[in-house]
Amino acid sequence: MAEHAWMLAAVPAFAFVALTATGRHLPRQGDFVAVLTAAAVFALFFAVLASFLGLGDAAWPVLNSIEWTAIGSFELRMGIAVDQITIVMLAVITTVAFMVNVFSVGYMKGEPRYWWYFAVLQLFVASMLMLVLADNLLLLYIAWEVVGLSSFLLIGHYWERRSAVEAAKKAFVTTRVGDVGLLIGIILLWDATGTFNILDIFHAVEAGAVGETRLFVTMMFILLGAMGKSAQVPFHVWLPDAMEGPTPVSALIHAATMVVAGVYLVARLLPLFESAGGALMVITIVGLVTALFSGAVAFAQTDIKKVLAYSTVSQLGFMFVALGAGLVSAGMFHLFTHAFFKALLFLGAGSVIIGTHHHQEMGQLGGLWRKMPVTAATFLIGSLALAGLFPLAGFWSKDEILHAVDAHRGALVFLLISVASIMTAFYTMRLFVRTFLGKPQDEAIASHTRETGAIMTLPLVFLAILSVIAGLAVFHEVGDALGFPGGFGEFVYLHHPEVFHVDWGLAGFSTALFVLGAFAAGWLYRGGRLDRATALAEWQPRLYELLRRKFYFDELYQALIDRVVLGFSYVVSWFDRFAVNDTGVDGSAAMTGYAGFLLKHLQTGRVPNYALAIAAGVVALTLITLAVGG
Amino acid sequence: MVPLENYLVLSGILFSLGVYGVLARRNAVLVLMSVELMLNAVSLNFVAFAVYLDPGRATGIVFAVFVIAVAAAEVGLALAIVIRLFRNRSTANVDEAATMRW
Repeated sequence: MAEHAWMLAAVPAFAFVALTATGRHLPRQGDFVAVLTAAAVFALFFAVLASFLGLGDAAWPVLNSIEWTAIGSFELRMGIAVDQITIVMLAVITTVAFMVNVFSVGYMKGEPRYWWYFAVLQLFVASMLMLVLADNLLLLYIAWEVVGLSSFLLIGHYWERRSAVEAAKKAFVTTRVGDVGLLIGIILLWDATGTFNILDIFHAVEAGAVGETRLFVTMMFILLGAMGKSAQVPFHVWLPDAMEGPTPVSALIHAATMVVAGVYLVARLLPLFESAGGALMVITIVGLVTALFSGAVAFAQTDIKKVLAYSTVSQLGFMFVALGAGLVSAGMFHLFTHAFFKALLFLGAGSVIIGTHHHQEMGQLGGLWRKMPVTAATFLIGSLALAGLFPLAGFWSKDEILHAVDAHRGALVFLLISVASIMTAFYTMRLFVRTFLGKPQDEAIASHTRETGAIMTLPLVFLAILSVIAGLAVFHEVGDALGFPGGFGEFVYLHHPEVFHVDWGLAGFSTALFVLGAFAAGWLYRGGRLDRATALAEWQPRLYELLRRKFYFDELYQALIDRVVLGFSYVVSWFDRFAVNDTGVDGSAAMTGYAGFLLKHLQTGRVPNYALAIAAGVVALTLITLAVGG
Repeated sequence: MVPLENYLVLSGILFSLGVYGVLARRNAVLVLMSVELMLNAVSLNFVAFAVYLDPGRATGIVFAVFVIAVAAAEVGLALAIVIRLFRNRSTANVDEAATMRW
């Protein structure tokens, strides 16, 4: 079954076609098709997993490919490669996709283009699965772009709203800047090694087919693609705006799966990054800057989804830092746990939005604990998992990252990532306290607030359970009992499997970070009151404004586009108008016309004149032939 | 046997007469006849060369037959035009049929 894992992607792809063609006319606009598809993919994943584990590590990675085309001596094969990283990604995608499909039935009820929403959701799942299954960079790139397309379509689902259109466009264009880098990187790799196949590229690079400087440049281009998709600074600007999309989409695409495609790409190609000089250090720096920057910005956001969006950016930074330390297992483990609790938090936010009839500003909420107990409880679990409370999922994965950084990156990076951890705890608890505790800020909203139905709360509960237990996968005993070769570090690794041992010193330190951040938030926003926070903001208005305006990144980009891009466009447009159009196109037409105006006088209409011209021409040609050919 | 040069000279004379006729005559029918004269000069050349230079094969002679056939078709077309011209203008003078100009 593992060699037929392509079926995972084929099923939702088929569902996409079916829903696009008939969804509008099906009963309930075909939402049951989407849910059944997601359930089938979820079940298929377990078949693949069982088969994969049954084959044993000697058979990994499981390969299956067909000849796509052959041009001369160049043969292009397309296919799948299932290894441990792929399995982790499949687990995340199929689980979260299933939950989101179920949740969407409740969330999207009565929304415009209900069937189209589910159709595109299937397209996204199909392309995302194809992305992680691909055994070559070309197929990966194709899936990468289709993922971007479905993200664009879903962000812009409410295209009657101008802000949604702008956000969709921004996401598409911003990631495209990185994608061009990825494409250049893929072409450079192909040029150097003659193949798109990832394993073949590894072998070629190991054999020294690419010089170190060239490899470094190539990997920087590929890193650009990863940064664009994973919203790393300075490409992060699209992700917070992408919150214009329906909230379940934010949970699936902009928290759990698509945005980690960049992390996946880096993890997948980590052997190449390792061989490429200082590339790992660059990844660490990018991740660190992103983690700190967006953690700080999350302090001053007031929209629930915006806080979660910046939190996602920040956690993606954590993953990059772990990968930059050279540890696939730490990065992938955080990806794995983060997917569950962040999907939970986003779906929780979706539940709040539905429960309060479309209110998501923290300033208007507060005190939802009593009105929405299930949502609040699951949201609390998600928040604590994200903040890193022992022994929830986020604690273990954050611990792994701290461990990796401590061992491979030295004290300064360790210190900074610790600061970022405190920030995580702070903004997460701030979000929870302000939304669910204290007194309602707006009685009119609070009086209409109801807990959402089972179709929305059940996915929350399921994900909450996963957020509690997913972290335990790190233990050797747990992995062993489930049939894996051991804990996460023994399953997903680059060079050597590593048995996990609890480092109580580090665990204590990590808990101290959590306590520090959480209590700071609790003290500042005790009982959902804002007086201390307002005093803090007024004490340093400039700093507060800087955070609230997200370090002026959007303004900076706007200015850049206005000055540089539009300025350049003006020059190009001038060249087009005057040089190409007026001189080239219109010029040649005018010249032909003027030539005709002059030459028309030769056209006398008299037959003898023409006959004379012909005779003279023949004589002239004969004389020339005699003179030249003579 | 008559030498080849004689045929060529005769052909040259015929061709020159034809050219003169086309350029100097004003009557459309006479112009057409002059064109025929030129074509016959060419046919004569073909046949003469065929017989003298390549006696085994009939290539040049076949060409002459083609020229005659094409000339017949051309005369048929041209006479039809001349008849239309005469019907419309009551003249066959080529100088007066000079309206096809800018």
